[in-house]
Amino acid sequence: MFEPFTDMVPSFFGWLNQGPLTLTIFLHTVIILPMFWIYAQEKKRLENEK
Amino acid sequence: MANKSVWSDNRFWQRSATWITGFASILLIWLTFDTSAQISMGTDEDIQNGVKKKVPGATVINYRITYEMDAKRGHEVPVIGGKEKFFGRDDWSEEEAAAMLHLGKLGSQAKNCMDCHTLLGNGAYYAPDLTKAWLDPAWGPDGSMQAMTGKSTKEEAIAEFLQHPDQYPTHARMMPNLNITEKEAIGLVAFLKHMSSIDTNGFPRNFGKIKGAINGK
Repeated sequence: MFEPFTDMVPSFFGWLNQGPLTLTIFLHTVIILPMFWIYAQEKKRLENEK
Repeated sequence: MANKSVWSDNRFWQRSATWITGFASILLIWLTFDTSAQISMGTDEDIQNGVKKKVPGATVINYRITYEMDAKRGHEVPVIGGKEKFFGRDDWSEEEAAAMLHLGKLGSQAKNCMDCHTLLGNGAYYAPDLTKAWLDPAWGPDGSMQAMTGKSTKEEAIAEFLQHPDQYPTHARMMPNLNITEKEAIGLVAFLKHMSSIDTNGFPRNFGKIKGAINGK
């Protein structure tokens, strides 16, 4: 699942690209998780509007 | 008001889209600068001090370049070794080497090598991939191409071939004579040697495993 970092020049993007799951997990963390938070906020707002 | 779902609420999608677009923009701008730094050319000092760069400085033409299997990375990588004479000299200055590479690069564009060949992933596969052509043993001391040109060094053999490609029966798809001058040929060989020293993360794949090529059995 996670493969050792073997790039010649260490880089954040090199780390992202080391295995099939690293990019997926990263993008889910930064895109999907904040969407849960946005969802919760909007739900609260709609309930308060009622 | 009826029970309104968040999914049909415009603000939820607006905020999500804003977040994704904004974050992706920042990531891509960062990636651009990260890439620029990674593909910037090294210097003569870097080579002397053993500082590894993906694209070594132009003076790499003064050194022997080999293609060795890196078990950790799972593919071959160019390794810069000791000094090696290039057209009789191993002390080409940074300016001279850069001028040769420049001439070779302009030559490769003027003669449109990419019309048939591939350089660093760009071009055609009508003729052999030139990315690691310098490392092809066929041009080495025991190679068939060097023997065919009758020259005693790899660089002279390649330069001779480039000037008279139509005189050497290499392949059914023979290279045409492109009227390359001797000076241009030297520049092109420098360009090819430098290109072979670029760490391309193992591209072209399996180059070293093709029969008759490096490490090929």
